[in-house]
Amino acid sequence: MTTDDGGAGLATAAVSRRNFVRAAAVGSVLAGSGVAAGMFDALPAGAGGSLVATGPDLHLLRRATFGPTEELVKDIRRLGRNRWLDRQLHPSSVNDGFCQDYVADRYPDLDMTLKRAFETLEGSWDLMYALGQATIVREAWSNRQLFEVMVDFWSNHLNITNPHEACWWSRHDYDRTVIRKHALGKFKDMLRASATHPAMMAYLNNAESTKDNPNENYGREILELHSVGVDGGYDEEDMRQSTLVLTGFGFSWDTGEFEYRDWAHYTGPVDVMGWHAANKNEDKGKDVGLAYVNYLAHHPSTAERIARKLCYRFVSDDPPQSLVDALAETYLDHDTAIVPVLEKLFRSKAFDSSVGEKVRRPFEDVAATLRILNIRPDPEGVDGQQGLYWMTEGLGHLPMGWVPPDGYPDTGDPWRSAGLTLSRWNMHVGLAAGWWPANHLKVPNIQKNVLPATLPKTHGALVDAVAKRLVFRTLPAAHRDAVLAFLGVAAATPLDEDDAAVGWRLPYLVALILDTPSHGIR
Amino acid sequence: MPQERITTLDVTPLAQPCGCPAQPEISRRSFLKAAGATGIVAGLASEGMFTRLAFGATPYVGDVLVVLSLRGGMDSLQAVVPAAAAQYNHYVTHRPNIAVPQNQLLPLDANFGMHPAMAPLRPFYDAGSLGIVNAVGMAQPNRSHFSAMEEMERAAPGTSVRTGWLDRVLGLRETGSPFQATQLGSNSAASAFLGPAPELAMWNIDGFDLSGAWDAEQEALWDAALRGVHDGAPPVIAAPALTALDALTTASQLREAGYTPANGAAYPDSNLGNALRDVAQLIKADVGLHVAAVDYGDWDMHAGQGDVAGGWMVDHLGEFSSALAAFATDLGNAMGDVTLITLTEFGRRVEENGSGGTDHGFGQAVFLMGDGVNGGQIHGTWPGLAPQNLVDGDLDATTDYRNLLASVLERRCGASAGDVAGIFPGIDNVRPDVVQQRAS
Repeated sequence: MTTDDGGAGLATAAVSRRNFVRAAAVGSVLAGSGVAAGMFDALPAGAGGSLVATGPDLHLLRRATFGPTEELVKDIRRLGRNRWLDRQLHPSSVNDGFCQDYVADRYPDLDMTLKRAFETLEGSWDLMYALGQATIVREAWSNRQLFEVMVDFWSNHLNITNPHEACWWSRHDYDRTVIRKHALGKFKDMLRASATHPAMMAYLNNAESTKDNPNENYGREILELHSVGVDGGYDEEDMRQSTLVLTGFGFSWDTGEFEYRDWAHYTGPVDVMGWHAANKNEDKGKDVGLAYVNYLAHHPSTAERIARKLCYRFVSDDPPQSLVDALAETYLDHDTAIVPVLEKLFRSKAFDSSVGEKVRRPFEDVAATLRILNIRPDPEGVDGQQGLYWMTEGLGHLPMGWVPPDGYPDTGDPWRSAGLTLSRWNMHVGLAAGWWPANHLKVPNIQKNVLPATLPKTHGALVDAVAKRLVFRTLPAAHRDAVLAFLGVAAATPLDEDDAAVGWRLPYLVALILDTPSHGIR
Repeated sequence: MPQERITTLDVTPLAQPCGCPAQPEISRRSFLKAAGATGIVAGLASEGMFTRLAFGATPYVGDVLVVLSLRGGMDSLQAVVPAAAAQYNHYVTHRPNIAVPQNQLLPLDANFGMHPAMAPLRPFYDAGSLGIVNAVGMAQPNRSHFSAMEEMERAAPGTSVRTGWLDRVLGLRETGSPFQATQLGSNSAASAFLGPAPELAMWNIDGFDLSGAWDAEQEALWDAALRGVHDGAPPVIAAPALTALDALTTASQLREAGYTPANGAAYPDSNLGNALRDVAQLIKADVGLHVAAVDYGDWDMHAGQGDVAGGWMVDHLGEFSSALAAFATDLGNAMGDVTLITLTEFGRRVEENGSGGTDHGFGQAVFLMGDGVNGGQIHGTWPGLAPQNLVDGDLDATTDYRNLLASVLERRCGASAGDVAGIFPGIDNVRPDVVQQRAS
């Protein structure tokens, strides 16, 4: 057993024997093969456990948010982990006035109705770009961090690429009425909302699927990606039936809104993975389709799949099956409600013992860097967010920007890339030094931002202080030595206020500390 | 020893002094790199390490392998069209709206014609450096993009092997240049590279640059510092970091040297054109490239693929053809040491759908380019488009793509039959005659 139901609150994060043994095993793999010939596919990221700041508060903050801040650490210590988590799981209890006002001010059209967008936008992509920027703002600066993490999770699970030419009038509404509305609600409602949204109907071609000429794109992906998964127990005939069940689901070319077209709906008995409907009348086809979607949401394979994906998000790239099973059971017991599943996950021993087992993907690095450097959104207009948007696109991880319909990979291996690593180093330097796009953002004075009130007496103490400020711990000895060598000093070298390390080289010192795995691991 | 070649550019030294215990018998660069990364020299029991050392003793002699992945499922029935009477009739019956008219096809042989948008490739076919294999696929149809791509690039059906096939190819050779295995046009490497052998993924050579390292002194400081702070980091973080550092100096030399394509080659101004131009530059600069991977996506034409007069398919085939033609033109005689192969996760349904597009299918056509290709001909057994010949409405696959790759690896890339059996577990002995045996 690796999970408990945690009725007594979050399990302690004391290093268990099991965890220690595992870490030791990892060490021997590292030693045996090194990087060039590493047993990479057998290696859990657990090796990172010794590189990040210890303690359950910071572990929870690294996983449940887009990056800890000094303020968040104070909050969680003041409230306790249980209350902090409860509030995050009930986001209306968290004041988010700044972010809401900022988004409403800079991106006022995001609440435009479908109909009005369809009538007025004339194919413009402006609203999709606005959504992309607003998403970056919310992920980096909302106080409702866990909610935004879940929005990101579901945006990938039910991915509709933003921007996409077929969704210019509908993508923002999909975000609002499908993803954000149900992000901490019930999956059955979210899946139903997606199946009745013009963005999904256009993106996966269901709007063109008719009884005479079925288009299998959506009929396949609702099984493979949105619900039971490719190994969920269906075959090609099930997939064809799935497509037929959903014929008629489309949108209106008059209003841009969802529309069920009975003339396009296939009638006759339909069977998908044991689900059956007589499906006799075309005017009742919408109800048949929605019953099918509801069946999929409650399917045990869907429960298992969502549970596993949540584990990839929050626990480990190789989560214990017992935790996946426990979460799937919770999902089904609660009629697909997500909050009980997350409560169970964050209160499991498997979560507690997963310290260091996840790495930050590129956008998570951008957001965590912005947050830890106390950089705030563009105080004048939107240029700063626009710059972040293009920068993040260059990092291959633009929020909602994944082109295939399966969403960004959520494990570390697929992101293993020299080019991405180099781009991330450049991003750290750019944000720390206030270069583009930081020159359009609100960047605090770096000395005041990262140095302690009293200047440390030695360079060694300086590196320790800046590391504590940025990664909440001093660096491992070898890394500290490398940073000191970079500064060309010894640990005991006295520090004066005129020294380069606290002058022109300070942004580079900050960037180098953000380049360490103590920041790269979440 | 690492491959010794006459190089026009120095490859960045891979190893930093690491203060490790001396291990003279294994003091190869690949090992130093590994040791430098972890700071630990112990327990060489890893199979991967032994494999690498054992096979690494022989320098690589073989073609640069360029793998061009046509992601999304290319509708190759529009590219290479059955032109003879009976088969063409089946084709046009299934595809009344999108079929290429018979009289507009560029004849390839008695039975097939090429889409007219592919005209730039015609001279290479005629000259024998472009070959086509019809009806290629995996052993089992897989009509899911994601699982088909994964399965195709894992290339080990029925096993629990988790690495990609290109990683296993690279595992046979000693780690040499950081450019040994390079993905161009993307910051993310294809899943065929998944596994312990390091690979480099970059958008382009021009952009591969470290901010803040404005001169050689700063470069050296950053290099040492970044190596130092990755000491003991999990490989998922450390491996790409070290590969990036190894490649930085070479990339900056390439940038300074600049690049003008030869023989009047005109690459399309597109991601594909830029990526292939960078591959050509790396080949000519002789930086130790063994395997290059490039993606060309957006082939998932469920709707509105257009007809012969224009549209999505015409644009895509046109860009594909002009980019490949420019690549071969630019490299000229160097194509004697290059084999390019295209793969797509599946072909498309024979029958068009109601949206002027096609749904996911099975058998695909594969294109091979290079002077070692048995070109100017169509390989593969054509299964036919008559209803009884289709598999769930799809063109059948009569050639397993792994056998094609095996032919290329054995005849062009220095792999033995035993190597190939390790790369493709369970593979049979069929070796389609698509390439010639390399001279040396």
